[in-house]
Amino acid sequence: MTRTIEATQGHELLIERTFDASPDLVFRVWTKPEHLMRWWGPKTFTTVAFEMDFRDGGAYRACIRDPEGEDHWMSGIYREIVPAKRIVMTFRWDDGAWDGLNNLITVRFEAAPGGGTKFSFHQAPFADTATRDSHVGGWTECIDGLAAYLEATA
Amino acid sequence: MEASDHLSTTFAALADPTRRAILARLVEGETSVSDLAEPFAISLPAISRHLKVLEHAGLVTRSREAQWRPCRLRAGPMKEVSDWLLRYRRFWEEGFDQMADYIAELKAKETDRDPDN
Repeated sequence: MTRTIEATQGHELLIERTFDASPDLVFRVWTKPEHLMRWWGPKTFTTVAFEMDFRDGGAYRACIRDPEGEDHWMSGIYREIVPAKRIVMTFRWDDGAWDGLNNLITVRFEAAPGGGTKFSFHQAPFADTATRDSHVGGWTECIDGLAAYLEATA
Repeated sequence: MEASDHLSTTFAALADPTRRAILARLVEGETSVSDLAEPFAISLPAISRHLKVLEHAGLVTRSREAQWRPCRLRAGPMKEVSDWLLRYRRFWEEGFDQMADYIAELKAKETDRDPDN
Protein backbone atom coordinates (compact mmCIF):
# COMPACT_ATOMS: atom_id res chain seq x y z
CA MET A 1 0.00 0.00 0.00
CA THR A 2 1.48 3.29 -0.99
CA ARG A 3 0.62 6.52 0.67
CA THR A 4 0.59 9.69 -1.31
CA ILE A 5 1.03 13.09 0.17
CA GLU A 6 -1.34 15.67 -1.24
CA ALA A 7 0.26 18.60 -2.91
CA THR A 8 -0.97 21.65 -1.05
CA GLN A 9 -0.25 25.32 -0.88
CA GLY A 10 0.44 27.71 1.95
CA HIS A 11 3.16 27.09 4.49
CA GLU A 12 4.54 24.10 2.74
CA LEU A 13 6.71 24.42 -0.29
CA LEU A 14 5.19 23.55 -3.65
CA ILE A 15 7.09 24.16 -6.88
CA GLU A 16 5.68 23.17 -10.25
CA ARG A 17 7.51 23.11 -13.55
CA THR A 18 7.02 21.78 -17.05
CA PHE A 19 9.99 20.17 -18.75
CA ASP A 20 10.39 19.58 -22.45
CA ALA A 21 11.39 15.93 -21.93
CA SER A 22 9.62 12.67 -21.17
CA PRO A 23 8.70 11.71 -17.56
CA ASP A 24 11.14 8.86 -17.98
CA LEU A 25 14.06 11.21 -18.64
CA VAL A 26 13.08 13.74 -15.95
CA PHE A 27 12.82 10.88 -13.43
CA ARG A 28 16.17 9.49 -14.55
CA VAL A 29 18.16 12.57 -13.44
CA TRP A 30 17.09 11.76 -9.84
CA THR A 31 18.31 8.18 -9.94
CA LYS A 32 22.13 8.30 -10.09
CA PRO A 33 24.92 10.36 -8.47
CA GLU A 34 26.45 11.30 -11.83
CA HIS A 35 23.13 12.90 -12.81
CA LEU A 36 22.36 14.51 -9.44
CA MET A 37 25.80 16.05 -9.09
CA ARG A 38 25.18 17.99 -12.30
CA TRP A 39 22.18 19.92 -11.05
CA TRP A 40 21.63 19.55 -7.27
CA GLY A 41 21.72 22.70 -5.15
CA PRO A 42 21.83 26.46 -5.81
CA LYS A 43 23.69 27.85 -8.83
CA THR A 44 26.71 29.24 -7.01
CA PHE A 45 27.21 25.99 -5.03
CA THR A 46 29.07 22.89 -6.21
CA THR A 47 27.86 19.39 -5.38
CA VAL A 48 31.02 17.61 -4.21
CA ALA A 49 29.53 14.31 -3.01
CA PHE A 50 26.40 12.27 -3.62
CA GLU A 51 26.10 8.76 -2.22
CA MET A 52 22.81 6.98 -2.68
CA ASP A 53 21.08 3.64 -2.34
CA PHE A 54 18.20 4.30 -4.70
CA ARG A 55 15.46 1.93 -3.50
CA ASP A 56 12.54 2.05 -1.05
CA GLY A 57 14.10 2.43 2.40
CA GLY A 58 17.55 3.24 0.97
CA ALA A 59 19.58 6.22 2.19
CA TYR A 60 21.30 9.10 0.43
CA ARG A 61 23.87 11.62 1.57
CA ALA A 62 25.06 14.65 -0.35
CA CYS A 63 27.41 17.56 0.14
CA ILE A 64 27.32 20.98 -1.48
CA ARG A 65 30.20 23.49 -1.30
CA ASP A 66 29.29 27.16 -1.01
CA PRO A 67 31.19 29.96 -2.81
CA GLU A 68 33.28 30.53 0.34
CA GLY A 69 34.43 26.91 0.20
CA GLU A 70 32.40 25.69 3.14
CA ASP A 71 30.74 22.25 2.88
CA HIS A 72 27.11 21.55 3.79
CA TRP A 73 26.00 17.94 4.21
CA MET A 74 22.45 16.72 3.88
CA SER A 75 20.89 13.26 4.00
CA GLY A 76 17.65 11.33 3.91
CA ILE A 77 15.83 8.09 3.21
CA TYR A 78 13.90 7.13 0.09
CA ARG A 79 10.42 6.26 1.31
CA GLU A 80 8.78 5.43 -1.98
CA ILE A 81 10.04 5.15 -5.54
CA VAL A 82 7.69 4.67 -8.48
CA PRO A 83 9.73 4.87 -11.73
CA ALA A 84 8.79 7.79 -13.99
CA LYS A 85 5.96 8.73 -11.59
CA ARG A 86 6.98 9.60 -8.05
CA ILE A 87 9.76 9.79 -5.46
CA VAL A 88 9.08 10.32 -1.77
CA MET A 89 12.09 11.01 0.43
CA THR A 90 13.09 12.56 3.72
CA PHE A 91 15.58 15.44 3.83
CA ARG A 92 17.64 16.98 6.61
CA TRP A 93 20.76 19.09 7.02
CA ASP A 94 23.39 17.11 8.87
CA ASP A 95 25.48 19.98 10.18
CA GLY A 96 22.46 21.61 11.81
CA ALA A 97 23.78 24.96 10.68
CA TRP A 98 20.83 25.58 8.43
CA ASP A 99 17.66 24.79 10.36
CA GLY A 100 17.83 21.34 11.94
CA LEU A 101 14.38 20.26 10.74
CA ASN A 102 13.38 16.96 9.14
CA ASN A 103 11.46 17.32 5.91
CA LEU A 104 9.43 15.09 3.67
CA ILE A 105 9.87 15.70 -0.05
CA THR A 106 7.54 14.38 -2.75
CA VAL A 107 8.42 14.81 -6.40
CA ARG A 108 5.96 13.83 -9.11
CA PHE A 109 6.43 13.32 -12.83
CA GLU A 110 3.37 13.42 -15.04
CA ALA A 111 3.13 13.18 -18.81
CA ALA A 112 2.16 16.56 -20.27
CA PRO A 113 0.65 17.19 -23.72
CA GLY A 114 3.29 17.34 -26.45
CA GLY A 115 5.58 14.77 -24.85
CA GLY A 116 6.72 16.96 -21.95
CA THR A 117 6.57 16.43 -18.22
CA LYS A 118 4.59 18.23 -15.58
CA PHE A 119 6.89 18.16 -12.59
CA SER A 120 5.90 19.00 -9.04
CA PHE A 121 8.03 19.28 -5.93
CA HIS A 122 6.52 19.35 -2.47
CA GLN A 123 8.36 19.81 0.82
CA ALA A 124 7.02 19.97 4.36
CA PRO A 125 8.75 19.69 7.71
CA PHE A 126 7.81 17.07 10.28
CA ALA A 127 8.90 16.62 13.87
CA ASP A 128 7.92 12.95 14.17
CA THR A 129 5.71 10.32 12.56
CA ALA A 130 2.50 11.72 14.04
CA THR A 131 3.26 15.19 12.76
CA ARG A 132 4.23 13.88 9.36
CA ASP A 133 1.05 11.83 9.07
CA SER A 134 -1.05 14.83 9.99
CA HIS A 135 0.28 16.48 6.85
CA VAL A 136 -1.26 13.78 4.70
CA GLY A 137 -4.69 15.39 4.71
CA GLY A 138 -3.21 18.62 3.49
CA TRP A 139 -3.63 22.07 4.96
CA THR A 140 -6.90 23.90 5.13
CA GLU A 141 -7.96 27.02 3.35
CA CYS A 142 -7.22 29.03 6.48
CA ILE A 143 -3.62 29.27 5.39
CA ASP A 144 -4.64 31.73 2.68
CA GLY A 145 -6.11 33.92 5.38
CA LEU A 146 -2.91 33.71 7.38
CA ALA A 147 -0.83 34.67 4.38
CA ALA A 148 -3.06 37.69 3.82
CA TYR A 149 -2.75 38.59 7.48
CA LEU A 150 1.00 38.28 7.29
CA GLU A 151 1.13 40.63 4.30
CA ALA A 152 -1.11 43.14 6.02
CA THR A 153 1.10 43.20 9.13
CA ALA A 154 4.48 43.07 7.37
CA MET B 1 19.71 25.37 17.69
CA GLU B 2 17.29 27.43 19.69
CA ALA B 3 15.93 29.07 16.56
CA SER B 4 15.32 25.71 14.89
CA ASP B 5 13.56 24.36 17.99
CA HIS B 6 11.33 27.40 17.83
CA LEU B 7 10.59 26.74 14.17
CA SER B 8 9.81 23.08 14.95
CA THR B 9 7.35 24.23 17.60
CA THR B 10 5.65 26.55 15.12
CA PHE B 11 5.39 23.84 12.46
CA ALA B 12 4.08 21.32 15.00
CA ALA B 13 1.45 23.84 16.11
CA LEU B 14 0.43 24.40 12.48
CA ALA B 15 0.23 20.67 11.77
CA ASP B 16 -3.30 20.32 13.13
CA PRO B 17 -6.43 21.27 11.15
CA THR B 18 -8.37 22.52 14.20
CA ARG B 19 -5.52 24.77 15.23
CA ARG B 20 -5.22 26.15 11.70
CA ALA B 21 -8.95 26.82 11.70
CA ILE B 22 -8.60 28.64 15.04
CA LEU B 23 -5.85 30.81 13.55
CA ALA B 24 -8.01 31.49 10.49
CA ARG B 25 -10.80 32.64 12.79
CA LEU B 26 -8.41 34.93 14.65
CA VAL B 27 -7.39 36.62 11.39
CA GLU B 28 -10.79 38.33 11.59
CA GLY B 29 -9.94 39.83 14.98
CA GLU B 30 -9.60 39.01 18.67
CA THR B 31 -12.24 36.84 20.19
CA SER B 32 -13.18 34.94 23.36
CA VAL B 33 -12.51 31.23 23.86
CA SER B 34 -16.21 30.38 23.85
CA ASP B 35 -16.77 32.24 20.57
CA LEU B 36 -13.75 30.44 19.15
CA ALA B 37 -15.14 27.05 20.18
CA GLU B 38 -18.59 27.68 18.69
CA PRO B 39 -18.01 26.53 15.07
CA PHE B 40 -16.18 23.38 16.17
CA ALA B 41 -17.81 20.13 17.15
CA ILE B 42 -15.42 19.73 20.07
CA SER B 43 -15.54 20.65 23.75
CA LEU B 44 -14.33 23.87 25.35
CA PRO B 45 -11.51 22.02 27.19
CA ALA B 46 -10.37 20.58 23.85
CA ILE B 47 -10.26 24.07 22.35
CA SER B 48 -8.32 25.27 25.39
CA ARG B 49 -5.74 22.56 24.85
CA HIS B 50 -5.31 23.63 21.22
CA LEU B 51 -4.99 27.25 22.35
CA LYS B 52 -2.24 26.28 24.80
CA VAL B 53 -0.26 24.73 21.95
CA LEU B 54 -0.73 27.88 19.86
CA GLU B 55 0.22 30.10 22.81
CA HIS B 56 3.30 28.01 23.47
CA ALA B 57 4.33 28.46 19.82
CA GLY B 58 3.80 32.21 20.19
CA LEU B 59 1.11 32.21 17.49
CA VAL B 60 -1.62 33.39 19.85
CA THR B 61 -1.63 35.66 22.89
CA ARG B 62 -4.35 35.97 25.51
CA SER B 63 -4.94 39.26 27.22
CA ARG B 64 -4.79 39.12 31.03
CA GLU B 65 -6.48 42.49 31.43
CA ALA B 66 -10.02 41.94 30.24
CA GLN B 67 -11.98 39.38 32.21
CA TRP B 68 -13.00 37.48 29.05
CA ARG B 69 -9.31 37.13 28.15
CA PRO B 70 -9.57 37.63 24.38
CA CYS B 71 -7.30 35.59 22.09
CA ARG B 72 -5.25 37.43 19.51
CA LEU B 73 -3.12 36.29 16.58
CA ARG B 74 0.63 36.99 16.61
CA ALA B 75 2.29 37.19 13.22
CA GLY B 76 5.96 36.89 14.33
CA PRO B 77 6.30 33.08 14.12
CA MET B 78 4.44 33.05 10.81
CA LYS B 79 7.10 35.40 9.45
CA GLU B 80 9.79 32.89 10.50
CA VAL B 81 7.91 30.13 8.68
CA SER B 82 7.63 32.17 5.49
CA ASP B 83 11.35 33.14 5.68
CA TRP B 84 12.18 29.45 6.03
CA LEU B 85 10.08 28.61 2.98
CA LEU B 86 11.64 31.40 0.94
CA ARG B 87 15.14 30.10 1.65
CA TYR B 88 14.20 26.61 0.50
CA ARG B 89 12.34 27.94 -2.52
CA ARG B 90 15.53 29.65 -3.71
CA PHE B 91 17.56 26.51 -3.03
CA TRP B 92 15.29 24.27 -5.13
CA GLU B 93 14.30 26.76 -7.86
CA GLU B 94 17.98 27.27 -8.71
CA GLY B 95 18.54 23.53 -8.61
CA PHE B 96 15.62 22.93 -10.97
CA ASP B 97 16.97 25.60 -13.38
CA GLN B 98 20.18 23.59 -13.53
CA MET B 99 18.16 20.37 -13.81
CA ALA B 100 16.35 21.81 -16.86
CA ASP B 101 19.69 22.67 -18.53
CA TYR B 102 21.07 19.22 -17.76
CA ILE B 103 17.96 17.47 -19.10
CA ALA B 104 18.20 19.49 -22.32
CA GLU B 105 21.81 18.39 -22.61
CA LEU B 106 20.92 14.72 -22.09
CA LYS B 107 18.06 14.97 -24.55
CA ALA B 108 20.35 16.46 -27.22
CA LYS B 109 22.87 13.67 -26.67
CA GLU B 110 20.20 11.00 -27.00
CA THR B 111 18.89 12.58 -30.19
CA ASP B 112 22.45 12.56 -31.61
CA ARG B 113 22.88 8.93 -30.73
CA ASP B 114 19.47 7.75 -31.82
CA PRO B 115 17.74 9.96 -34.42
CA ASP B 116 14.56 7.89 -34.12
CA ASN B 117 14.19 8.59 -30.43
